[in-house]
Amino acid sequence: MNELNIIATNSTPMIRTDGASGTLQLAGDSYPEHAFEFFAPLLAWVKQHLAQTDAPLRLELALLYLNTSSVRILMDILDQAEEAFQAGRDVSLTWRYDSDNERVAELAEEFREDCSFPFTIEACETR
Amino acid sequence: MSDLLDTRIAELLADPQWHGHPLRDALAELYQRYGEHAHALERLTRIADRYQNAERERGMGYADRYERQLRQLTRLLRISDRYQKSLQELNDELREQSERDELTGLYNRRYMYGRIEAELQRLARGGEPFCIALGDVDHFKRINDGWGHGAGDEALRLVACTLEGRIRASDLCARWGGEEFLLLMPQTTLTGALTLVESLREALKVLTPEPDGTLPPMTMSFGVAQAHAGQTLTQLLAGADRAMYGAKRAGRDRVAVDA
Repeated sequence: MNELNIIATNSTPMIRTDGASGTLQLAGDSYPEHAFEFFAPLLAWVKQHLAQTDAPLRLELALLYLNTSSVRILMDILDQAEEAFQAGRDVSLTWRYDSDNERVAELAEEFREDCSFPFTIEACETR
Repeated sequence: MSDLLDTRIAELLADPQWHGHPLRDALAELYQRYGEHAHALERLTRIADRYQNAERERGMGYADRYERQLRQLTRLLRISDRYQKSLQELNDELREQSERDELTGLYNRRYMYGRIEAELQRLARGGEPFCIALGDVDHFKRINDGWGHGAGDEALRLVACTLEGRIRASDLCARWGGEEFLLLMPQTTLTGALTLVESLREALKVLTPEPDGTLPPMTMSFGVAQAHAGQTLTQLLAGADRAMYGAKRAGRDRVAVDA
C-alpha cells in the first residue's frame, strides 16, 4: 500500500501511516487552503486500508486547531472507522493533548460523541 | 361469486349432454381467454406493486440520508464554532499578555504609549485637558540589596496594587520600567491631578512598612505634567520626567509639577 509520510507545516498537520499495523498518525494544526486536495491521499489510504485488509485501524491524533473543512474530513474518517468497527474490525483512537491546553480535550470530546469504538483522550505533560 | 360461476361453467363444460352444442365450444373458448386475461392482470398488479414498494423504500432512503447529513452538518458547525471560539479566547489572552506587565499585572509601556497618543490627539482636536504623572520608588536599590530580589518584586506589586486600587475608573496606571510607574488621568486639570497623586503618595506611606517586617517603609517621588495641545508624546513624557527628578532632588517623597 502507498504509505504516507507528510511533514507538518504551519498550517498543515503531520500525516504518517503504517499499513502493517494499521496506524494512522495526525499531529499539529490543520487549516490548509485546499483541505480536500490536501487530505485526498489520506482519505484514499483509509478507504484502501479498510477495503483491502483486515488489519486493525489505530488512529493516533495530536491535533490542535482544525478549520471547518478539516473538521469535516476528520468526521468522515471517524464515520468510516465507526462503520468498520460495527462490522467487527479492531478499531481504536487515542487523542493526545498538552495538559496546558484543556480546550483541545473538550473538542476531542465533541468528536468522541458519535463513536462507539475505544476513544481515549490523554493529557501529556507540558515539556 | 366468481367461484360459484367458475364451478357452474366447469360443470356445464364437463356435461356430456352439451357436447357438440355450438354454444358449448364458444363458452369453452371464452372461458379460456378469460383465464388468460385474469392471469395477466394479476401479474401486472404484482409487478406494479413491487415498483411502488421499491420507490417507497428509495424515498425512505433519501429521508434517512438527509437526516444523517443534517445531523453531521449540525455537528460540524458546532465543532467548528468551538474551534473558532477557542481561537478567539487565545487571541484575547495573547492581546492581554501583550498589553500587560507580567510582574504587576498593570498595563505595560507599549500599551500606554498608544493611550497617551490617543489622548494627545483628542486634545489637539479641542478635547479637555489631561495630565500624566511619573512615579518612582525612592531608594528602591536599598530594598533589592538589603531585603533580597524577592522583596523587591513584592514591593513593586504592593506599589502597583496601591496605585491601581486608588485611581479613578477613568485613570490608567502602567509599569513604566524598573521601579517607575506612569499614571494617565484623562479629562483632568493640573489641580485635580495634584490632589489625586498626593493622595497616592500618602497612601503608600501609610501601607508600609509591612507589619510582619517583610518590607521596609517605602515612599515615592512623583512628577506631574499637564498636556498642551500640539505637544508630542516625547515632549509630554520629558516634562513629567523632569518634574519627577525635581521631586527627587528636593528630598524625595513628594509631588512636583513640570513648570
